[in-house]
Amino acid sequence: MIDVTLISFFVLAVASVASALGVIFFRNAVHSALSLILTLLFLALFYLQLGAMFIAIVQVLIYAGAIMVLFLFVVTMLASEASDNEQRDRIPWQRGVAAALGVVLVGALSYLLITGATINANVKASGANSLAATVTKQGDTQAFGLALFHGFAFPFEVTSLLIVVAILGAMVLGRKS
Amino acid sequence: MSIPVSWYLVVSAIIFTIGIAGVLIRRNPLIIFMSIELMLNAVNLSFVAFSHYLDSVDGQMFVFLVLTVAAAEVVVGLAIIVSIFRTRRNIDVDDMNILRG
Amino acid sequence: MTNLTVWILALPLLGFVILSLAGRAMARPAVLTVALGTTGIAFLFAFLSFLSVHGTPPSSPAAGDQVIYTWVNSGAVGAGPNANPLIISFGLLLDPLSAVMLMVVTGVGFLIHIYSAGYMHEESDGEFSRFFSYMNFFIFAMVLLVSADNFLFLLVGWGLVGLASFLLIGFWYQRRSATAAALKALVINIIGDFGLMIAIFLIFKTYGTLNFYNDSNGTIGVLNQAAPGLTTTAICLLLFIACAAKSAQLPLYMWLPDAMEGPTPVSALIHAATMVTAGVYLVARAHAFFEVSPTALLIVAVLGGLTAIFAASIAVFQLDIKRVLAYSTISQLGYMFMSEGAHDYSGGMFHLITHAYFKALLFLAAGAVIHALGGEQDMRKMGGLRHRLKITFWTFLIAALAISGIPPLSGFWSKDEILGSLLAHASATPGKTGDIFYLLWAIGLITAGLTAFYMFRLVMGIFFGRYRGSGPAQHSEEVEGTEIEEHIQGHGGFYRIYEAPAVMTIPLIILAIFSVIGGWIGSFALFGARNWHPLETFLSPVFTNPAWSATPVASPAVSLSAQWLSTGLSVGLGVLGILGAVALYRKGFEYKESKNDFYQLVFHKYYIDELLTAILINPLLWFGRAASQLLEGDVLDGGSRGVAWVFGRTSAGLRRLQTGYMRNYALAILFGVILIVIYFAVRG
Repeated sequence: MIDVTLISFFVLAVASVASALGVIFFRNAVHSALSLILTLLFLALFYLQLGAMFIAIVQVLIYAGAIMVLFLFVVTMLASEASDNEQRDRIPWQRGVAAALGVVLVGALSYLLITGATINANVKASGANSLAATVTKQGDTQAFGLALFHGFAFPFEVTSLLIVVAILGAMVLGRKS
Repeated sequence: MSIPVSWYLVVSAIIFTIGIAGVLIRRNPLIIFMSIELMLNAVNLSFVAFSHYLDSVDGQMFVFLVLTVAAAEVVVGLAIIVSIFRTRRNIDVDDMNILRG
Repeated sequence: MTNLTVWILALPLLGFVILSLAGRAMARPAVLTVALGTTGIAFLFAFLSFLSVHGTPPSSPAAGDQVIYTWVNSGAVGAGPNANPLIISFGLLLDPLSAVMLMVVTGVGFLIHIYSAGYMHEESDGEFSRFFSYMNFFIFAMVLLVSADNFLFLLVGWGLVGLASFLLIGFWYQRRSATAAALKALVINIIGDFGLMIAIFLIFKTYGTLNFYNDSNGTIGVLNQAAPGLTTTAICLLLFIACAAKSAQLPLYMWLPDAMEGPTPVSALIHAATMVTAGVYLVARAHAFFEVSPTALLIVAVLGGLTAIFAASIAVFQLDIKRVLAYSTISQLGYMFMSEGAHDYSGGMFHLITHAYFKALLFLAAGAVIHALGGEQDMRKMGGLRHRLKITFWTFLIAALAISGIPPLSGFWSKDEILGSLLAHASATPGKTGDIFYLLWAIGLITAGLTAFYMFRLVMGIFFGRYRGSGPAQHSEEVEGTEIEEHIQGHGGFYRIYEAPAVMTIPLIILAIFSVIGGWIGSFALFGARNWHPLETFLSPVFTNPAWSATPVASPAVSLSAQWLSTGLSVGLGVLGILGAVALYRKGFEYKESKNDFYQLVFHKYYIDELLTAILINPLLWFGRAASQLLEGDVLDGGSRGVAWVFGRTSAGLRRLQTGYMRNYALAILFGVILIVIYFAVRG
């Protein structure tokens, strides 16, 4: 009997890798951006499959929604001049080397992961710390929120500072000098 | 049958490497940026996978933080690209090579 | 009354600070007020402190100790019996010994300050205030030296005294010879400082503390636990290196005669009140170490004796009047060290005090002569000055008689006490050591005769006979403030020589009085009443009370007959020396170049300077020149050029790696990442 989870995993894996390849191989930047949106959606599905509901929603909303809109906006703004093939590549050998090194990296990482990566039961959370327990008790989003505002309150606040700085930086850079 | 965690990680590694290849091969900074987003998302995938398999919410926390950082980075990065484009009318990264020895 | 010690230290410092910061902007009377006022009040306080110590002798050093500031206070240092906490505090000690030293330093220093007001009159305003600020600094450094209650701050004072002497000897820095002399003094002093420093390290390593005595805060002292041993001997010898450098003993005496390059009041200050007495003081202060190390004490005595006769013999042939006095100082300091070597520390201190009076007087009187002659220091160009410089002549004569040991002047009492102690120690010590002390006693006697001879050679040369000079240089006229009458200018300028102003002669007269009566406190010793010696009684706690001294000093007791023998011989030799000089130079000093080898040897100061130049300085210079040409030219420069070439070529090659393409750099990063991943893959 064929497992639905297994099938969905393979479908998602192939789809996301294919769309990721599309990001870097489309000549037109708009196509690349659309392909990236597709990749992000597939990843959101992965998250759903892994039970991370809140993250999946946020992925769609923030990445596919906000960030990619920004990307598309800039791409269309610069599109006419922003074609990759206006000039000859000055370091053509880099493509071959990069591809070769990429294959080596994927090979080495896959080898390591397949042979070595197992989850040690000792490091698994259990009891009240367990995510599954909290989710069944309070629901997914509540579990996330509780963790965020208890254990991760300080990083969260620092993030807000980071965003303020980023906004200021973008304003300064965007000003007409 | 449950899927081993390493499968997710292999997918993550492949997408990450595609991101690297994009950075190395493409000359349009916008596409390089998108490749970086790919790399970030690949890492996010492994975080969520770990979160699931370790039955802990911490991995999702990291994803959440990476998301915000990525948003901030994109905002600033795109602003820089736009301001470079304003002055140079050209955004080929290979033209930005005044550090050549 | 103890509190006054701080002020004795602080006042000259205050004067120094004021004068060095604002001296240039101050009028001369203001400068003098500050300089003389601070030193004078310091002297007054020293006098009051002395009276208080004299009235109620302290029962232990802690009673007179005053910790001002604790600098370091650590937990226990080291292990075993010496594991005391390290406490280094800035404390001031007022005990009989330091009270006497404070009196001498501030008292004589104050008189020299007064004298300087006249002597330095010709200097410009800026120089005038600079001079007094240095003088105040000198007094401050010396007060710090004698009143510090631990070795560390003694070293600070020791070093600052060296610095002050450097500044003052090189006061006329436009003169090449002055700066050279200042440098020489500094270098030799630093040899001594180095010895003192090593001694202090050794003391700390051995005893775990640097305080002299148990102080008022309860810090353990070192001097009342001095134990015999090789280390102690080493400490003593290192201390003596310091003392020899500071007090100009063999073999580190060379700087003192050259120190004449400074203004004469500076010479007086260095020779009489401060600087050179520091070594004598340190040996007396650290006598607990020397007492348990007879070897070191013997070396002190022998070197003192050798220095005494060595310097006296050089003084006999010198022509520069200040140089004669300089060698005389070295010789007299030798006496003090001989005395200390014979366990008679209070005798050494006694001679230090009387010597301070008459040597200061000699220098100031010589300064008055030089001043009157407009800077002339060569005895060949003097003579007959007793008619023109009456006060100077009489005071100089008194001082010369005092240093020659003619009764009842001060030098007589102190010198005879030393000679008596030497004789007593010689007769009390069996074997070779006793013989050595007999020899030292004989050296002392001969030196006494030599001293009388060269002093009266000086007296005859300066004040008697025919005037051989050509009158003072013109610029000294304004000092006298007198119109020069045209018609008497013809007589070789003799009648243009005038006595110094009162501001200079009054200190001379005061010092002359002390040179006469200053030794009378020791007079009873000569008649066997050794116990009734006010100075010795006053100082005795320091040398005999166990609170100060781990091994109480047994001063050698001399039999009355031996004392009289010694006294008779020394006075006889002194008179002989005087008569010899008078007979020889009856018609005035006449310089005759002699081809005699021995004469030439002594005249050229035993060629010590030439020897040093030949064996030390010339090789160094040769090495320096050779090094600057060969080593620096080809080896070092070539080396650095070679290194530069290698780097230049290498980086020209490496530069190609910096393509400027960001993507290339990213590729390099990826390559590194892959290496790391492969490392993990291979390691498994």
